[in-house]
Amino acid sequence: MILTRHLYRRLMRKWRVIGLIALASVPGFVYWLAAFDANPDELAGLYSDIIAIAGYSFAIAALILTVATLREERDAGTLPYIYMRPMPRVSLAISSMLAAIAAVMTIALGGWLTTALATVAVGADISIALPGLALFTGAGIGYAAVFVPLGYLVPRSLLVGLGYIIVIETILAFAVPGLAQFSIWRIALSIYHDLASVFGAEAAEALGPVDAGVGGGVAKIAGTLLVGLLVLTWALRKRDAL
Amino acid sequence: MTDTVVVTELSKWFGPKVAISEVSIGFGPGVTGLLGPNGAGKTTLLRVVAGLQRPSQGEVTVLGVNPRTDSAVYQKMSLVPEDEAIYERLTARQFVELVARLTHVDDPKGRAEAVLGTVELLDSADRKLGGFSKGMRQRAKVAAALVTDPEVLLLDEPLNGTDPVQRAQLIELFRDLGVAGRTVIVSSHVLVEVERMADRVVAMVDGRLAAVGSVPTIRAAMTDIPRQVFIECSEPRTLASALIGTDGVVGVHVEDSQLRIEASDAGGLARLLPQIALDSGITISKVEPLDDSLESVFRYLVEGR
Repeated sequence: MILTRHLYRRLMRKWRVIGLIALASVPGFVYWLAAFDANPDELAGLYSDIIAIAGYSFAIAALILTVATLREERDAGTLPYIYMRPMPRVSLAISSMLAAIAAVMTIALGGWLTTALATVAVGADISIALPGLALFTGAGIGYAAVFVPLGYLVPRSLLVGLGYIIVIETILAFAVPGLAQFSIWRIALSIYHDLASVFGAEAAEALGPVDAGVGGGVAKIAGTLLVGLLVLTWALRKRDAL
Repeated sequence: MTDTVVVTELSKWFGPKVAISEVSIGFGPGVTGLLGPNGAGKTTLLRVVAGLQRPSQGEVTVLGVNPRTDSAVYQKMSLVPEDEAIYERLTARQFVELVARLTHVDDPKGRAEAVLGTVELLDSADRKLGGFSKGMRQRAKVAAALVTDPEVLLLDEPLNGTDPVQRAQLIELFRDLGVAGRTVIVSSHVLVEVERMADRVVAMVDGRLAAVGSVPTIRAAMTDIPRQVFIECSEPRTLASALIGTDGVVGVHVEDSQLRIEASDAGGLARLLPQIALDSGITISKVEPLDDSLESVFRYLVEGR
């Protein structure tokens, strides 16, 4: 826990947290603007459409945050202070992953709260925002599972991660249905779809061929997390730490 | 004495660049100075010994185990990295306590207090490291390394940025650790300091071991390079003519009342000089070896002359 707390605190620098919560809040602001003059019957559908599309801003916030978990230590040259400790590499991997998940959950909560406040501001039922928390949570854990090992292994991991989100998740996954199954955002969206009372047409298009379902979505996120932990443990054992 | 750190046929390369080539060496208790010009492979060797980088070939054991596979060894091994990198937002006390807690040290607060006192940082212990001078950062890093009471201490340029007083204190501290039976491996490019703290020197050039041993031992082994001896005497020209042609003397240079002799056999010269002085009635006021220092030895090793 000491290492998790240390890494979490390092990730949660004041201005970074403020900036990333602002980025994660984009769907909330967009919803507030879009729903201002909308028909009350359309508010729930509009919420799902906007959070499914504009929610990619949260994906980018999650990338920026989680990729830094060990990359910052490596780049700053401080990794020896945590690497050269008497703990199994799997513990180091779990601590790093927990810190990243805790940090990204803080951002997710901030981003989701903005959407919840926006629903109140436009007079919609706040219950339509609740599944959004599951979307942000699932996506946050999934992205942490992918980007923490990426950050440790790849020097320009932020660019590589952006490439994944922009090229694969938002462009190629629309064109190649098989790729959509590997999209963290769509997997999290499948959980949201199962929980939301209304799922708009734009949101359905964003989800693509991925089957909706809490159980399947949670299992896929858990599987991604397990693979991420295994890859990170392998990397800590086998790759140079500096 | 048993070696605590054993490096066996170690090679490390980064793509086409060979950083260390087939190095085999053991380090035991005491202070060992690791010398070499930039790019000689000193930092890479320390990083591989620390387990931060994996060997491309060969193996390293520290206290009998491979640090890459047995992280328990970090309970007994510390490194002061060369990089200035440090947690800028932590205070010195928080930094040292963090390392102590991560290493499961008993009474981390008390131990941190003690080592901060050892490196004379107690007055600044609650200031953030970001505001520290380079010398203070070095001392904070040394404190973090000492807080675990390591048996093996790896120091990569630990004196960088420290002022003369701090340097003297740290050198004394490292010497004391060596005397106390700890294995201290210190890399430095400041030869005078290495000479002051290390009982044994390991010289590296281009990723290979160039020499290992005490400075006099290494110098004595360089039989192809004549010793340079400075002599101050009453009649330098007379002494010079007596020495020319003598076995073991390969060169004589006269400058005012001084002589510089190049001798292939320094011991022979030492035996010969008193006899010549007596026979010729010459008063010798000073005899001083010119190239027995670590700096000279190192220059010979690096420049091959």
